[in-house]
Amino acid sequence: MAERFDDDMLVCRCEEVTVGQVREAIRRGACDVTDVKLRTRAGMGLCQGRTCEALVQAILRQELGLPADKTGYSTPRTPQRPVSFGTLGGDIDE
Amino acid sequence: MSKAYDVIVIGAGAVGTSCAYHLVKKGMSVALIDMRDVARGSSSHCDAAALLSDKQPGVDVALGYDSIRRFLELQEELSNPFDLEQGGSLTVCETEAQVELGAEYVKAMQADGYDFQMLDKYEMKQKEPFLADDLPGGFWSSACCSLSPFKLCFAFVDEVKGKGLDVFIHTKVTNILLDDKGAVCGVDTDQGRFTAKNVVNCAGVWSGKVCDYLGLYFPVEPRNGIILVSSQTAPMCHQKVQEYGYLITKFQTGFKQDPLVEKYNVTMNIEPTEGNNVIIGGSRNFTGFTEVADINVIRAIARRAIRFFPILKDMNCVRAYQGMRPYMAEHLPVISAVDEVPGFFIAAGHEGDGIALDPVTGQLISELVAGEKPHKDISEYSYSRYKGKGPKA
Repeated sequence: MAERFDDDMLVCRCEEVTVGQVREAIRRGACDVTDVKLRTRAGMGLCQGRTCEALVQAILRQELGLPADKTGYSTPRTPQRPVSFGTLGGDIDE
Repeated sequence: MSKAYDVIVIGAGAVGTSCAYHLVKKGMSVALIDMRDVARGSSSHCDAAALLSDKQPGVDVALGYDSIRRFLELQEELSNPFDLEQGGSLTVCETEAQVELGAEYVKAMQADGYDFQMLDKYEMKQKEPFLADDLPGGFWSSACCSLSPFKLCFAFVDEVKGKGLDVFIHTKVTNILLDDKGAVCGVDTDQGRFTAKNVVNCAGVWSGKVCDYLGLYFPVEPRNGIILVSSQTAPMCHQKVQEYGYLITKFQTGFKQDPLVEKYNVTMNIEPTEGNNVIIGGSRNFTGFTEVADINVIRAIARRAIRFFPILKDMNCVRAYQGMRPYMAEHLPVISAVDEVPGFFIAAGHEGDGIALDPVTGQLISELVAGEKPHKDISEYSYSRYKGKGPKA
């Protein structure tokens, strides 16, 4: 990860968050993926961070000099991919 | 790092950031300490509303109304937006029996001077066209607000940071220090010692652990709530909508409910968000300190939501998150000085009302710490209800 990203590069396509916005969040105290998410919405969209999480981690490593295992990850949540409410609520054990 | 402050606030959630802000406004220097980031706990794992329509008549709704009034002021006062919108809320009754109960509740609220109106099924459908056809009626409360709780926390912090407020995140309090007279004189953390004559415990579900350092009995428990997030959608829900059954599970026991509601303690509430999603709740279950959401509860929430909004059946759910609400058996938070330990204050145990009562809690704590008479009668929220109680008392 020697390359430094431009500030106007898009990190999270779902929520349209740029590298510059992620850097600003880190400057204000964000230390891991979830801190950045709360401050920018990166990872809160349709794909739930599947595209941007690795980029956010890379920026955290660059800005804070963190090792790879200290940037955190978004809390794993159900469902694993978008699913209709009808399917979810279908055959529940009453 | 032993800098001296007037006040140390433990916990940087909705309650702690509001206390810190209002204390600085009173001219005090404040250290806000949190073991994680600002808004990282319950305040980012909740829904996004400040309601009157989930309060009980009397002091409960009075404090809720005072808080909404203060939210409207804060919207002007704080530089950063927290997406406040006074859109009102709709409470939907599922049966004629609920309509009757709802009418009594509305009458009590109107008698206290609050703008509540009964709606018949047609008036209700005008407000929410996608509601199921068979629902008999409901009621409307115009003062209810929606907002972004975590943006609110950051707005409080950013407004006064460096101007009387120092923030220490990723800093864990490990002890509370007393002087030889038994009064508060500071805290120890994993990042060093902080000195102050006042400490406010705003640690939410963890506030019992903070009280443990002083041997104080504080029976707060995490009560977990799950919320489902839809993918972005065209407007299908226009304001906060909740089922009347929610009030029953909040305030009453022994009332016959839908089997699904009873088995999983799930009731429907739904609201549109700033991101053009809807968020759908919710549940209240005692499953301890955990972020893991039970799939059966998730499914029950989806099922319950479709009962009220059939259109959801074909819409997508992208996420289900769980938050821990600081539950107390009395359904009342503690907003209080602690007589046993001079300089120690508690603002915790709000369960699902931490956002709704956020501004007024901060204001009241700032008055108590400053030694002023609180602007509201808060004797019901006094810590003295635990006097002589508990294993450590």
